Parts: sequence; C-alpha cells; structure tokens
Amino acid sequence: MSRLEAKKPPLFISEPLTRDTVSQSLSLLSGILKSCYGPAGRLKHLHNGMGGYVCTTSQSSAILSHLSVSHPVLRVLMASVQNHISRFSDCGLFTAILCCSLIENFKSLNVASCTVIKISKHLLSLCMDYLKSEACGCRVSVDFSSVETLLCLVRSILTSKPACMLNKPEVDHLTMLILKAFMFTVPYCVETNAVLGKCVIVPVKGRRVVDSRVLPGLLIETPEIQLAEPLTVKRTCSNMIKIALFSVSMSGDLFNPEEGTIAVHHGISLEMSELNQLLNVGKQLINDEVGLVVCQKVMHPSLKQYLKENHVITVDRAGLSLVEPMSRMTGSKPIASIHSLSPGCYGSLKDVCIESFASKHFVHLIPNDTVVCSMILCNRNETAWDELKRICETAEHVLQLTIKEPLALLGGGCTETHLASYIRHKSYSLSTSSFKEIDCSQTQYQLVADGFCRSLESVACSLNHDDGEVLTDMFYGHCWFVPSGFSSVSNWSDVVSKCGCGINGNTENLKWRLLQGQFGCPIAQGCPKEPSVKVADFLTLDCFAAKCNGLQVALETANLILDLSYVIEDQN
Amino acid sequence: MRRPSRPRLSPAAVAMARRPEPGRLAQEAAALAGAVRGALGPRGGRALLVRPTGQALLTRDGRCLLEALSLEPPTARMMAACACSHRAATGDGAKTFVLLLAGLLHGLRAAAGGGLRRALRAFEARVLERAVARGLRGHLLSVLAGRRAEAGGLEALLEAYLGGRLGPGERRRLARLCCEYCRRCDPGAAAVPRPRVLRLLGRRFAELHAAVAGLPVESSRVLPGLVLRRDFAAYCPAGGELRAVLVTEPLRPPLSAPGGEFAVGSEGQYGASRRWVERRTEDVMKRLRSGNVKLLLSSVKQEEVVIYYAKLHGVSVVECLSSEEVALVREITGVAPYAPFGDNARGEIADAAAATFCRPLLLGSKRCAHIGFTGLRAFRPHCLLLCGPVDSVNEQHAAALQGAFTMLQQLFKTVDRREECKGEGESQNEASEVCSWHPSAARQQLVIENISCNGDHVSERQLKAHRDETETQIVDPGLQGSENPARVQTDSQIPSNPVSHAKEFSVATEGIGSSGGVQKPHAKGEQPSGVHESCKSDSLVDSQKNYSTAVRAARNANAVTACECLDVGKDLEETSCNIVPCKCEKSCVSIAQNYSSSLIEAGSVLPVGGYFEILLHYYIRYYAKQFQQSEVTFVSNVVADALLSIPKSLYRTTEQNSFTKFYLKAVDALRKNQPLPMNEKGLESVYCKYQLVISVLHCATELLSIDLIIGIKRPLKKIEDYDSEDDF
Repeated sequence: MSRLEAKKPPLFISEPLTRDTVSQSLSLLSGILKSCYGPAGRLKHLHNGMGGYVCTTSQSSAILSHLSVSHPVLRVLMASVQNHISRFSDCGLFTAILCCSLIENFKSLNVASCTVIKISKHLLSLCMDYLKSEACGCRVSVDFSSVETLLCLVRSILTSKPACMLNKPEVDHLTMLILKAFMFTVPYCVETNAVLGKCVIVPVKGRRVVDSRVLPGLLIETPEIQLAEPLTVKRTCSNMIKIALFSVSMSGDLFNPEEGTIAVHHGISLEMSELNQLLNVGKQLINDEVGLVVCQKVMHPSLKQYLKENHVITVDRAGLSLVEPMSRMTGSKPIASIHSLSPGCYGSLKDVCIESFASKHFVHLIPNDTVVCSMILCNRNETAWDELKRICETAEHVLQLTIKEPLALLGGGCTETHLASYIRHKSYSLSTSSFKEIDCSQTQYQLVADGFCRSLESVACSLNHDDGEVLTDMFYGHCWFVPSGFSSVSNWSDVVSKCGCGINGNTENLKWRLLQGQFGCPIAQGCPKEPSVKVADFLTLDCFAAKCNGLQVALETANLILDLSYVIEDQN
Repeated sequence: MRRPSRPRLSPAAVAMARRPEPGRLAQEAAALAGAVRGALGPRGGRALLVRPTGQALLTRDGRCLLEALSLEPPTARMMAACACSHRAATGDGAKTFVLLLAGLLHGLRAAAGGGLRRALRAFEARVLERAVARGLRGHLLSVLAGRRAEAGGLEALLEAYLGGRLGPGERRRLARLCCEYCRRCDPGAAAVPRPRVLRLLGRRFAELHAAVAGLPVESSRVLPGLVLRRDFAAYCPAGGELRAVLVTEPLRPPLSAPGGEFAVGSEGQYGASRRWVERRTEDVMKRLRSGNVKLLLSSVKQEEVVIYYAKLHGVSVVECLSSEEVALVREITGVAPYAPFGDNARGEIADAAAATFCRPLLLGSKRCAHIGFTGLRAFRPHCLLLCGPVDSVNEQHAAALQGAFTMLQQLFKTVDRREECKGEGESQNEASEVCSWHPSAARQQLVIENISCNGDHVSERQLKAHRDETETQIVDPGLQGSENPARVQTDSQIPSNPVSHAKEFSVATEGIGSSGGVQKPHAKGEQPSGVHESCKSDSLVDSQKNYSTAVRAARNANAVTACECLDVGKDLEETSCNIVPCKCEKSCVSIAQNYSSSLIEAGSVLPVGGYFEILLHYYIRYYAKQFQQSEVTFVSNVVADALLSIPKSLYRTTEQNSFTKFYLKAVDALRKNQPLPMNEKGLESVYCKYQLVISVLHCATELLSIDLIIGIKRPLKKIEDYDSEDDF
C-alpha cells in the first residue's frame, strides 16, 4: 500500500527543559495535584464535555488516569507516578508533587544536570539509610498485637481522601470494617510461605455508609433463590457440608468441535448422551454426600431439578472471579471434567445460609478457615461509591504492605520536614572525600541539598490550602500548621497546639521557622530528635513502603527528566 | 552501498542525478554529529523519542537516535547506515562513528578525487597500522591476563560502556548488577565470562531478564533460575528437586484427527470415546507423576481437562510459552519436547530437565512462573530483574546491557597482522580469481611486493609514471627497508562493494603488468614458485630473522624521521617528534621482542576518556612524518585531528580548557616516556575502537568515491538486512 501523505520530518527539540511550554505545563500539573493533597484538599470534578460519566475525586489514581497531557516529558512523569500507584496504591500525590517540585527546584540551580543527578542520588541514599535505620526519628513501628497503630494508619488513609464526604462516625465504622476484613484474610496457622487471603467487595449502592458490613466467607448473588424456603443442607457425618465446584459448563451443550469432523448416524442424539452423562455425575455427587454444587458456568435445568429433589443445593453462573477464592476457602479443586470425579476434588464448608441486602439475595458460604471474606460496601451514589471502593482497596493494600514491613511513617507533613532538617544537618557535616567521590564542589552539594530540602518542605506546605502559615520547629523538625488569620502573631507558640502528625504537643519552648520563607534558614543545631512519646491516639500515619518507594521514584523520575537533552517527536 | 545495480538512464533520471560535493558531505556529517553530540559520553544526556503512536522511548543509543531522525539526504542516510552497522557488529560506537566521520569529512572537504582515495588507503595501510603496531601497542592493558584480570576489569569495562548509555545515577548500580549477573551465570570464568556464555546472554537477553515498572532502580537484582512471563495454569506446591517436561502439542488426544472423520454409530459409543479420551489424558498425567515430573511447560494452550488432571496429580502447568522461551529452555536444559503419544508413550520419560524449585513470583502486579533450572555445562541460568520508575527506563537498561554483552564478545577478538594472511591472499591470487577475501588488500599487497622486490631496480621516476594505474603511493627507497618487515596491509574486516573493487583490482594488475619488463614476473603474481615462497620465508619460516629486521628497521625509520624533523621542527607536534625517537626506538624494540601474530591482542583495553584517540593521534602524527609524500601526510594529519574531536566532545560540558589541559598533559607524558595521567577508572576495548577507525575510513572512502547520485522511481531491492544484524 502506498502512502498518500508525504512523511513529515521529526520534530527535534534540544534541551527541552529550558522551553517555556514545559515549565508552564509542569507548574499547571503541579498546581492541580497540590490542591488535591491532604484531608483539606480540594476536589476535582472530571467530566467529558459530551456528557456521560462524571467523577468527583481528589485521588491521584483517578486524576492521573483521566488527565491527558500533550507534552511527552510530562507523560513520562505521569506514567512513572501511575506505575508507583499500581504497585503501592498509596502516596501517589506525594510522589507526583515531590517530583514536580524537585524538577522545578533543580532546574533553577545553575549546576550541570549530571552533577545535580549525582548529588541528588547521594542525598537520596542518605535519606533511605536514615529511614531504614533504627535511629530514624520519623517512623513508628507497628505492633500487630494491638490495633491502635493499625487503626491510626487506616484512619489516616480515609481522612486524607475528602471526596467520600465521610463524617466521623462513618470514618470510625469503616476503619473498623477495613481492619476486620484484613484480619480475616490473615491465615490462621502460618507456615513459612504464608499467602494472605482475599477480601471480596460486594457493591450495594444507595444505602448509608454505616450499613456496610464484613462477613466471613463468600457471597454469591442468586436472584432466583426463594427467601421463604427454609434452607436444608445435607451434611456429612462430621457435620460438614461437602461442596463440589465445577469450572466446566454443565449445560449439556456439545463438545467444542475440533479440527476433524464428527459424523452422526441418523437417530442418534449426542445431546441426550451428554445429558445422561450429566445425570450420571449428579448420581455420583449424591452418592458422595455432596451438599452443595457450585458451577462457574451454566447448569442444565434437568440436572438442577434432579439435584434439588435429592436435597442438594445448586448455584450456577458463579463467575470466574469467585472460583479462585472459593477453591482456596473450601479446599476444593475446580472440576473440569464431567466424566470422572475424583473424591479429592471436593471441599468442605461449615455452613450455608441465605442473606439479603437491599434488594439483593445472596447465598452465603461460611467456611471453616476464614481466609476469604466479603465486604458489603454501601454508599449513597455511584461516584461516591467508586471513590469509597478505591479507598478500601488502598487501605487493604497498605495493610498488606505493612504486615510485610511493620513500620509506618509520621504523616501530616512531619516526615517531610523532619527528613529535610536531617538532610540540612547532614549536608553540612559531610567529609571532603565524599565530595571528591561525587566529583562536585561543596558549594554545589549545598545548593542541590537545599533544593532537595525545599522540595520536601513544599510537599508538606501543600497540605495547607488556606492562607495560614506552615512552621517547622528546630528541635524535632516536625511540621506545624497555623490556622488562617493569625499570620501576624509575634509568638507562634500561642497559636499552634499540635504538630501535623499529632505526636508532639506544644509543651516545650520550641524555636520556629517559617517553611515558605526561602531565605536565611538557620541550620539546625543538631540532628532532629525523636519524639519522646512514642504512641499517642489519633496519630496521622503513612504507609512506610509506599512512601519510601514514592520518595525514590520521585527523585529518579526527576533525574530522568533533568537528564533529557533531546526530544525527538515523530509527527507522522 | 545501496546503489542500483543497473539504473535505467531515462532523461528524467539523468535530470535527477547530481554530483555530491565534499563540502556538502562535510555539512551533512556535521549536522549529524551535532544531533548526537549531546548524548555522547558520560556527561551526555538522554533523548526522549516519541513514536507516532505516542509511545515514548528513552535512549542514548546512537543507532536509535540516528534512526529517529529519519534522514532525507541519501548520503546522510548512508552515513547513518554505516554507523548503525558498525554499532550492530561491535555493540558500541555509533555516536563516536558519526563524530569521527564528521571530523574526517570536514578535514577532507577541500580535497577530492582519486588521489585522495588512494591516499586514504595508503594511510590506512602504512601509517595507521604502523602507529598501532609500534606506538599504541606499548600502552595497552589486558583484562584477560595479568593483574587487571582480578582488579575488577569487567566492572571497569561495563561502567565505562554504560556511562555512555545510561543516566549518571544508574550506571554504577547497573554495572555492578551486570557483573554480579555474569559472575553468577558463569561462575567458572576468570574475569570476563566465556565467549559462549556471552553469546547466549546477548542472544537470549530478552528472555533472561524481567522488568518491573514503578520501583526504584535500586530494587533491581539477580534471581536464580528462569522467570517465564506466564502465570501457572495450575500450581501445585512442591518442595525439593523436581523434573520438568516440555511439550509442544495438546495433551488431550482429539476425538477426530484433523482432516479425519469420527463416525458415531451409537450413543454408547460416543460416550465411551469421550471417556477414553479423558482416560488417555489422565494416563499421561499419571505417567508424568510417576516419573517425578512436577512441572509441565507447554508452548500451546492446553484444554481445561488437562489442567484439571494436572492439578489432581500434583503437576504444575505453565502454558502458552512463546517460541523464544521454549527455545531458551531447550538451550539451557538440553531437553527435547516430550511426545506423549509417540512410539515410546509407555516408556520412561528420559528427556526431563532438572530444576531445584518452581514457584510463582509476583512481578509488579503480574504473576510469573519462577523456575530454578540447574543448567547445562558451565552455564547457570539466572534472571536479571530490572526495576525502574517507567517502562522506557527498563527498556533502555535492557538494551544497554544487551549491547554490553555484544561489546564484551569483542574483547576476545584480535586484529591480525599481515604476514599470516599474506600467504592466503597470495595463494588466492595465484588462482587468479576475484577472491572472497578482501580484493583491495590483495591488490595492494601485490603492489607492495612488487615495489619491495624491485626496490633497487625500479627508479622513482619509473614508478611515478605508473602511479595512476597502480593506485599505490610511492615511497622513497630509503624507507623501503623499513617497510619490509612490518609490512602493512589493509584490514579485511569491513566488506565494501565487491564489484567496484573487483574492477579496480583488474585495473591495478593490468597497470602493473604493462608497466615494464622488469616488473612483469612479480606483478603477475600468478607464478606459484616465486612469490609464494618468498612470502613463506617472510612470515613463517624466517620469523626469527624478521624480528631482527624489525628492530633494525625501526632504528632506521627513526633515524630518518629524526633528520626530517630537525629540519622542519616548528609547531608543537613536530617539535615533540624531535624528542620522541630515542624513546620510541626503545619501545619499538620491546614490541618487536614480544612480537606476535596479532596487531591487537584479545582482551586489550585502554582507559576511557579519550586516551585511545590521543595516543593514536600522537602516533599517527609521528609516523606520518616518515612519508615525504604530501597526500598521505595530509590525510594523516586530517585523521589525527579528527580523532581529537572525540575527546573534545567528551570534555565539552566540563569547565573551560579542561580538554586542552588534559591533552597537553597526555602529550607531555608521552614525550617524556612517562605513564599517562589516569583520572578515569573505566576501560574500553581497543578492538572496538580500532574497528571504529577502520570503519570510518572505509565509510569516508566510499562516500568520496561516489561521483553521481541518481534518483530513481522504483524502490531499491534491499540486498542486506541491517536490522537483523542486531538479533544474531
């Protein structure tokens, strides 16, 4: 095929970061994301001018997936943040804001990008070593024997997403539910290679959030089951219910045609042969004392009727997504043959009952070992429900990450300011041999370190959406928010009561520094200290793994973008 | 290179034809060099290539850059093609190629014509090889033998190589990772993995690595075994050693074969056949299980029934493997696919691969099968897990590492000296055929032979008369002696247009043949006794004598240059030559003593950062002095200066004058015969660098030989597929 259009020459842009278009779109993106950040973040209303679905959100995952950017450099940034979110679910906005801010700060320095990258890499390694060390003053260890810290962690996630419009009782209720659901998925006896179970979210829209519930086991929606009918299930001698799970179709349809042909003589019905085989299977199931038959696909009505007459409950069209958790929960193996049934395929259940929520009816399978649970999640409308579902998934993922690494970071901007003051302190006490190793001068190092710290602090500042001031103290390096209207107070100690994460109260004589004041920041006298009180109620906590990864990804992405010398765009 | 073999010369075609001007060539090359310069060297930046589909690609690879430019002018396209084919062959140097070519064409823009072409060839044959053999050789280090072998030679090589293709924050981490990977894949190797392993790694790297986006580069690591990018269709946890079987066909026997017909006579028969089919499937699984086979790798999708029976019998299944993955598994385990319904269906399963574990591995959000194959012979299969914030970073890393494996393979190659090839070339001449071996080299050799044998008889005037026909440049008799022992020839690595060479070859022989009675017996070269024997005595039998001649010749040569230089001695380089001879004589002796058949030995390396270029620049300048012929000296100076353009570009972004400082320091050290100042830890392969210079010279010669560019309407048939060269 011949090409009709002549080939256009590619667009060659050298030094793309010096262009105005990039810095403008970057600051626009950064502005959008900053305004969403934190519990007081502003909501974004995403809609298509043509009508249809509308999304109200402040979550990075929703915003970034819907936003389309034209500039390839920004596309790299967004792809990077989205990849982070797909791995960790949390701290997407933190990563994106930090990355934008790092690019802006580093770009304005008059240092060769290759030196900036080397220095910032060194700064990152300082941060990571500090965060992973025992001496780290901005992390708390999570004790799984008490629920306090876990509740703080989940509550922080819920409150940081304002688009759900949850009030306090709702937050408390959901926090408990999410934690309960997570506890269900932790296996009872732990071997070396423990695998967490699964929490299946069942949507119920149009009900109040406080109507949400968590049930052990699985719920299968069955519209045809009659509520009035009492459920009698055949049990085995050990008072268990035997379950058979079929992944093959039991509709009695013919076998998939193969490459060759099948010639059928007159008067022979293959369908009859298939149905006979199905009824044989049914007979065997009854003989094997199976009490419940679940089929992923469709069951033949005759077989259903036959089994029902023999007091076997049948559930069909269960769907592929339920097969795996059901197999895990009951210990049954999905049967893919209607010709041979091995007794090893059956699983067992503790109980089966019928539940109904709103207008929906479910068969509730109650297992012996609860590694699988169902969460009936209610919210008022479609968009709010979607937002709530994303939050629940995030919280579940964060809890999973936390059980792998039982640590959490202080939230509310305190980790950022604490790290910044740590880096400020550290960068002044670095030996000359390390400068030589990085191949830079001390001045260059200080410049880049200052840009790095300012970027971290600007993330903390973006938690504040009113015109109040943001402070940091010189002792703990935590972040303090001054309510708006007190900007001309002489003594800051009079107007602040608690730091961002809530661990420190304003009890001591602390020295303050304005975060947004760019100039003349005095160097902290020493390494920022660890708070004396370790655990308090209502702390704001962030996921350790997600935030560490976010920090690393943000810096690496910023470096990647700073390192770009050309953009070559094929315009065909 | 891609000239039409027989263009139809319609008037329109002639109208579209134009003459290439050297000035224009230089401009095009300079524009190309400007486009790639920003990505060169350790301080270079990356390019973000945006495909028409919107897909972004991060790269610093010269080849990708040149391709993305989608060049319009045919000569520029040819330059890019030459650079890319050099890159494909050696794994390195596309950007340097373009820079050097630009420098060369810039220097040669004023001169043109057949004389220049001859001078380029003569330069290559006489000056370049001599500069390498007598000058550069003395400075070479080796990673394959000696002290450097233990002292992290591989890491230094990799770090320098990756420094040219990855960002400043990633290269050290990746170089270490790659070292660890090589060491674990080939634990028996000394410093650098064996060539066989390197070939396997380079060829199969796409399957030997896995990438996860969204994690920092720090998280990259080496995993034992192989990661197949499919989830288990059935997973049955199994501890301890296990066996794995490879199948390439469905395990459930079909009810009716393709093309066949299955006649159903009764319902019972149908049911029985269905049951039989299932029983056969189950039997296969039972047999596998009894043979302790716990893993089934399938290249095709298996029926659900098969998966069901596999689960029942505790056999894990991975299906839908790509053909590359199957080929890799076959290669590293040596097993052939298992035929369940073959002749030995009842027999033992002999062809099963041993593995230490098989478990699912979560890569990002994707579940993969992680299988610990034990491997065959020396190769221990390992998987390199690459992490990066975005996919394009991982792709960049993977491409760079694959290139690194190609580059490392070049370490084991040598550049041969003349004498050995000579017999070969000569004997092919005897057969009086256009040999597949490089014709131009053969021709030149013939001519040199002629001159050296008749050194006393043929007067300079006589030879000059035949200069145009013989296409060699003439050296004065005083230098003939020095020419003799270390006789130089063009290297035959780079193929060029055979047709044109064949023609030139015939012209050359004719020229010599007609040049006079005295020359005739030698010029023909077809007489087996004379020439062939003389060459034998030169190279093989009398090698001992050769050494002594070499030493004497070197002294000779030095004496000559010394006289010359004393006369001229004006600018910096020339004055330097005044001091060098005494030192150089010594180094020449030492080289002559450890004389071996190769010009550049396997494993030869030099520190990165322009050392190769400065050394070669220095020695080319020095040996060019020995020629009084203006054209060769001119070309030598141009090449020598063009070489400097590479370190100049490398030092471009650093502080002012840093290149000049470095250059003066290096040249000063050379003059005083001191070790060179080393401020870089990285190493680079001299073979690749030398090949680069040769390729650039050939490309330039070819470009300057084009006299007419003809636009044609039909697309040209592609004779050689350049893209496939990377996949070997």
